Amino acid sequence: MLGDRLTAFIFSMALALLLLVLELVRRRLLAERYSLLWLAMALAVLLLLAASRPMVDRLAALVGISYPPSALFVAGFGGMLVLMLYLTAVITKLSRQNRIAAQRIGLLDSRLRELERPRQPHP
Amino acid sequence: MLAANQRLLVIVPAFNEEASLANVIVELRAALPGVRVVVINDGSHDATQQVAEGAGTQVVNLPYNLGIGAAMQTGFIVADEEGFDFAVQVDGDGQHDPREIGRLLQPLLDGTADVVVGSRYLAGPGYVSSTMRRTGIRILAACITVLTGQRCTDATSGFRAANRRAIKLCAAYYPPDYPEPESLVVFRQVGLRAQEVPVSMRARTGGKSSITAARSGYYMLKVLLAIGVMMLRRAPRLREV
Repeated sequence: MLGDRLTAFIFSMALALLLLVLELVRRRLLAERYSLLWLAMALAVLLLLAASRPMVDRLAALVGISYPPSALFVAGFGGMLVLMLYLTAVITKLSRQNRIAAQRIGLLDSRLRELERPRQPHP
Repeated sequence: MLAANQRLLVIVPAFNEEASLANVIVELRAALPGVRVVVINDGSHDATQQVAEGAGTQVVNLPYNLGIGAAMQTGFIVADEEGFDFAVQVDGDGQHDPREIGRLLQPLLDGTADVVVGSRYLAGPGYVSSTMRRTGIRILAACITVLTGQRCTDATSGFRAANRRAIKLCAAYYPPDYPEPESLVVFRQVGLRAQEVPVSMRARTGGKSSITAARSGYYMLKVLLAIGVMMLRRAPRLREV
């Protein structure tokens, strides 16, 4: 079962994460849209704790986990997985936008050198 | 060959090809006097830019290496925006013989195809790559023949010609990384007709291939995965010309 010390530890970690995310958003180091997932995760942990042990125990029993604290790890791992997948999708989008920008820079640079050249244009 | 009002753009993708590029451009000029050539310098670390400029061609310098797919797409954007009727890809490593461009263009001029691929396996003897690479190319070609229903013997050939419709598509959408096999599937999806003509390829005259033996397996897997996913995806829309 979850000991009181462990509960307090997880609670303070989740609270720290919540505050850290909010502070990063406040300082504009983290965009609101990306903060939402982190906030959701911190809140989920807090809520899970608030709902306390009976809830965790029931949840664990429901999916057939014999050692209830493991259910927390499973939930945390699942959250991380979703977050990482989401970040990979963000990277994919960024690299596409990056590619388009790089292509446009190359084309503009070529055009500029063409215009600045005193000689005849290319055949 | 080309009618007076038809314009051809030769796109030369080049990544660290200082050793072979000058000769490629000389050969292009000899085979097709007055042809417009654009070199897409894909973030080379060597003197590719200076060599291309010295040869008097337009050079598009990509700020860093984007890969052959994005480089070719850049060339197609030039062709699209400047209203070229035909575009031909000739690699900067010298393995494509510019004298064979006419053969690539013929089906486009006849209106029997939208994309023409030069195949080294339809022709007689010429440069033949290593057994492993050849086997890989055969497997890919067989997959693409099955998937597209169009005969394909050389899925990885980069010696290609495109008409206006195909230029429009490639400017808007071109597969990244190793685009040759994937693009054949896309062409099929949007209803562009692809055709192969025999060409002879030569061993590269300098520099190094970007596909090493170690990467070949990864290349195969990636291309097969990309093609598989592509079949599940909705086809990109072809803007009407």
